[in-house]
Amino acid sequence: MTIGSMLGDVVKSFFKKPVTEKYPFVRQEAPENLRGKLVWEPEKCTGCMLCVKDCPSNALELIVLDKVNKRFVMKYNLDQCTFCAQCVINCRFSCLNMSEEQWELASTNKEPFEVYYGREEDVKFLLEKASRGEAEGPCKED
Amino acid sequence: MNITFPSLIALLLFPGGLFLLGSGLFFEYLDRKLVARFQNRIGPRWFQPLADFIKLLAKEEVIPAGTIKSLFILLPIFALAAALTAALSVPLFGFKPVFSYNGDLIVTLYLLSMMTLCIGLAGANTEDRFSIVGATRALTQLFSYEAPFLLAMLGPAIALGTWNISLINQGATQQSLWFIVSQPIGFLAALIGLMGKLELPPFDAPEAETEIVAGALTEYSGRGFGLFKIGRDIELVVGLTLIASFYLGGFSTPLDFLWKVFVLLLITAALQSLFARLRIDQTVGLWWRIGAILVLCQLVLIIVGNTLSPFIAPLLGG
Amino acid sequence: MEAKQKSEKFIVPIGPQHPALKEPGHFEFTVDGEIVTNATARLGFVHRGMEKGVEDRNWTQGLYLMERVCGICSHVHAMAYALGVEKLANIQAPPRAQAIRELVAELERIHSHLLWLGVAAHEGGFDTLFMFSWRDRETVMDLLETITGNRVNYSANVLGGVKIDINDAQKDALRRGMDFLEERTKHYLKVVTEDETFLGRTRKIGVMTFEEATLLGAIGPTGRASGVQRDVRVDSPYAGYPDFPVNIVTSDAGDLEARFVVRIKELYESYRLVREIVDHLPGGDLTVKVPRRIPEGEVISRVEAPRGELFYFMKSNGTDKPERIKVRTPSLCNWGSVLTTAIGHKLADMPMILAGIDPCFSCNDRLVMINGKKTETQVWDWEDLRQYGIEYYK
Ligand code: SF4
Ligand code: SF4
Repeated sequence: MTIGSMLGDVVKSFFKKPVTEKYPFVRQEAPENLRGKLVWEPEKCTGCMLCVKDCPSNALELIVLDKVNKRFVMKYNLDQCTFCAQCVINCRFSCLNMSEEQWELASTNKEPFEVYYGREEDVKFLLEKASRGEAEGPCKED
Repeated sequence: MNITFPSLIALLLFPGGLFLLGSGLFFEYLDRKLVARFQNRIGPRWFQPLADFIKLLAKEEVIPAGTIKSLFILLPIFALAAALTAALSVPLFGFKPVFSYNGDLIVTLYLLSMMTLCIGLAGANTEDRFSIVGATRALTQLFSYEAPFLLAMLGPAIALGTWNISLINQGATQQSLWFIVSQPIGFLAALIGLMGKLELPPFDAPEAETEIVAGALTEYSGRGFGLFKIGRDIELVVGLTLIASFYLGGFSTPLDFLWKVFVLLLITAALQSLFARLRIDQTVGLWWRIGAILVLCQLVLIIVGNTLSPFIAPLLGG
Repeated sequence: MEAKQKSEKFIVPIGPQHPALKEPGHFEFTVDGEIVTNATARLGFVHRGMEKGVEDRNWTQGLYLMERVCGICSHVHAMAYALGVEKLANIQAPPRAQAIRELVAELERIHSHLLWLGVAAHEGGFDTLFMFSWRDRETVMDLLETITGNRVNYSANVLGGVKIDINDAQKDALRRGMDFLEERTKHYLKVVTEDETFLGRTRKIGVMTFEEATLLGAIGPTGRASGVQRDVRVDSPYAGYPDFPVNIVTSDAGDLEARFVVRIKELYESYRLVREIVDHLPGGDLTVKVPRRIPEGEVISRVEAPRGELFYFMKSNGTDKPERIKVRTPSLCNWGSVLTTAIGHKLADMPMILAGIDPCFSCNDRLVMINGKKTETQVWDWEDLRQYGIEYYK
């Protein structure tokens, strides 16, 4: 039976540095294997679509420019991704990996969340085509 | 310090009026900051209470259906006015009070209770269930701490034989022994009574947010709520000043005032963070079963001591 | 309707929006002065249609949807689902994967119980304990983030195993974290069993006897605090629990204090388990292959979530999508105990009694329509449902 049994904590914490942080000014470091933004390496991709098929939130779209020459562009909707890493497990050629980047998903518009991966000229080609308004429909699961 | 200000300035600017409002906000900041530090948090920045206040003033005030409109609007003003008036006879910041007369102690103590009465009325005025429960609790709490608090404040007054606050303050400075040593029960009762008055944790049952949202003030928004809030801040200043001047050996300079009040604030903040909220029946039980009796005993002792003092004074050397 | 007949009584409504409830639920407490004389609950404000939604996804995608049934106990949902699918496909995840599943589940229990400790203290107006227990909870959150990469929905499972492995640096971090937390938890146990003001709010409050608990079907720590010897981890061990068994923690007191004590002592068990798993992690693979099409069949999968028994019924029709998934979450079983124990207590005790079962609202909500005339079928589109909802809550 005591009264004020947290006295020790209270007094100690008065002289300690607070544990809370002024968030936007002070940022915590991300742990080493944080599942952040997905990265895709086009070189190894075979276009098997396994990653797209099992993504629970339809965050991935593989746009095929030229199937024979293996020219693909991956459109990655960062805001839809749930960072579950299922796609990383699914890809047998380890094209996909999760980086430590980007864990603050707040913005006033959608643009920063539309990420295109692929060879530079392919992405450029695709975006130009899109701006002309005749983009191919993206390849979806079905 | 024996500077006297022209009464208009003293009333509106310094040390009453505007300056008092400012220091009320500052005290609230200090209180919040200290509690935060006790809980290992950073706490608010210095302008947070002011920002809150301005925001509240700028907000729309919703007057709910089923209330007496004029009462709803007038009560916060009344509460703030009472708190400001209470400050007039108190030696704020170590300066001489603006109005000082014999018996101002009783008037000030009653003015300090106005706040709770207004809050109780404000709660009973609306039809909100939370408000009504909150008002009942606020008034119940008032009846439990009021008498012990009054008796605790009377202790030094009786010991010094005057009911004039500034005379008590002067008397306290001249005492060789601070009243906190000679009347420790009174000091505790006064400090805890003040916390009950201000509905600070653990005596925040009347506004326990997890049960009854904001208690009696649930229906208040905007201006009314802001005025109640700042009224309470001023009460904090006035109450702490009173206790410091009575029990911590009084003060005659602002510096003296500051450190004494800061120590008191430190203690209240620590008390606030140490305990779980008391249920209203526990609060009442605590005050009437323990608080009131102890304070009464002490008062009897003081009176007996006072009557006997001519005989034993030489023995105590004071 | 009932409320209207008793309109002369003073009813205090709590929810759907109320500072005490972080999730929407609606309670009506009839009070006489401060004493509660009747209590009713109404749920269903956050029905999300997940059971239906999962029928539209393939088996793998379903895992991630079910993981999001609850934000606090996400891993146990995914684990129950994955274990169920594995049972249907008649495969077994490798021992290392099972151990890691148990490890994450226990870490999740630690984070959930510490969270609850803070919330319950806050309901009782003891904000300092709230702040401190949440501060220390950050330790386990950071550990979970270090080993899984995510803070809330860890996604540690895949069908047939786990995604993550534990390396030596992580093992050390886990050991250090457990040491720190154990010391803090000892302190909190002392606070909740010795602090006079806090005991005034918990001792002999909300007492539920063993008979009542069995009658009302209380489960999890709520039931165990009333002496119900039931814990799925012990009764029918799953995942890594056969290799790393737990000791059941119970108490006979049945009051709020007992619920605190049982949960805190369960924390000790979890610390011990985490240490044991870290020290004796079996080697081997992390996954086995699971076919895309799951063979036809029905299965029941049960795991012990931090709040009690979590129950999954799964039915497959041999395609790559589930035919039916039925989830029964633990909070649902404990509502009855709240409403019964509430009567006769003070209004001020309600938040703590409510919090005593560690309630979780959104996972309870289902839409059940009973169609009296059996022959008719009904098709409702979105607009109809919306209209129905508006009418229902009017
Ligand atoms: S991490 Fe998950 S949600 Fe994100 S793209 Fe990969 S599969 Fe989709
Ligand atoms: S799974 Fe890998 S190889 Fe297949 S499409 Fe996706 S990224 Fe390319």
